[in-house]
Amino acid sequence: MASLREAALLEAQRCLYCGFCEAVCPTLLYGAHRGYGPRGRVSIALQLLAGKAPVSEEALASIYSCLMCRACTTKCPVSVNVAEIVRIIRILHNRGELLAKSPVRIAVRG
Amino acid sequence: MDINSILHIIAENTLRTGLPLPAPRDIAYHWAKPLNLPRSGSMFLYTGVMYQLMPYIKSFVAILERFEDSRLAKALRLAASPKLTGLARAAIKPERDEIELAESILTSIARLLARAGINYAYLYEDDMYTGVILYDMGLEEAFQEHAARVYERLRRRGAKKLITVDPHTTYMLRHVYPKYVDGFDIEVVNYLELLDEALAGRAQPAPRLWSGERVVVHDPCLYARALKLVKQPRRLLEHAGLTVLEPRRSGRMTYCCGGPIEALSPRLAGRIASTRLRELREKAPVIVTMCPICFVSFSRVAKNETIVDISIILSKTLRQDEEA
Repeated sequence: MASLREAALLEAQRCLYCGFCEAVCPTLLYGAHRGYGPRGRVSIALQLLAGKAPVSEEALASIYSCLMCRACTTKCPVSVNVAEIVRIIRILHNRGELLAKSPVRIAVRG
Repeated sequence: MDINSILHIIAENTLRTGLPLPAPRDIAYHWAKPLNLPRSGSMFLYTGVMYQLMPYIKSFVAILERFEDSRLAKALRLAASPKLTGLARAAIKPERDEIELAESILTSIARLLARAGINYAYLYEDDMYTGVILYDMGLEEAFQEHAARVYERLRRRGAKKLITVDPHTTYMLRHVYPKYVDGFDIEVVNYLELLDEALAGRAQPAPRLWSGERVVVHDPCLYARALKLVKQPRRLLEHAGLTVLEPRRSGRMTYCCGGPIEALSPRLAGRIASTRLRELREKAPVIVTMCPICFVSFSRVAKNETIVDISIILSKTLRQDEEA
């Protein structure tokens, strides 16, 4: 059975980066950057899973600002389960298994 | 405010008291005391305490909203965690009328089930919060520990089937608990599904309280996308005589209320709730919700709109039907 880390990695690698998901994400409109949308979250998840460098406060804000509403999955041509990727990253963060030392704060535009 | 501190309060409180926020333990079943619901059976009403928590969530979010991005929030981040939990306990002050509203929603649901001829028992002190926020926020070990406790209580009560009343509890028990709890084989049915089944083929009540009044429905994300519970609430409202209007984004393409992150960023959650509320308001000033999180989220930003839980509307119709 795949570990949580492997499961998230496999799911995130299915993303085609088409961006159809961004049109329906409620947080992207008000977030500080593209990381507040599904495509950005998948991209950040891949970087966090690679574990090559400590992650920033903003990267974690991207992960924790997800509503897990699954609107993105309804628009995704390959049905990437972004909510589950985000949930696994949160688990790894809470367990201290990511190179993340920063506190997490969500920034809102405007 | 630092999210880690908030998650700590929630996890610590859930494991210590069974509830995610500091609240009296009897909030779970206080509403049922006057109803004298049977205590034993094999099919139980399981509220998951989500509606009962609404006033506490609202109060907690109001505190966080004041502190978000403030210097005090930064100072709190440095404070010892037990102090934070104590501070939350002292600061959360739910409004009396909001507690009464939450209880009236549950009373309405209980009456609707009875009226539909459904025999069920109630869990009282074993009606527990599922731990959904622990699961969503990735507090995996705390969730597993809490879920095992919940299942043990249900097993001891001999529950074979549970009637749930909100999307989060329904989803957790139907789709998550079987993966996390060894031996979990309890059937889970939502009360809207049960009422819809019971109503199938029945004539419309006459005279009807409603004669085509227009309401707009907001689909909760989990009902619409994960549980495929979309047609049932519409059929129930139409059966009651209401005209159901659809917002621009509805059903599977519904738009989130923002509620799932209101404890982490009240500001972002509020912006999303306002956007959705505007969209709903374009159709009708009466907005029907079916989820306690959506209800709190819209109530925080509503101005002249009426936010009403579906059970309250259906139950009003029931009273009219009974009086006829």
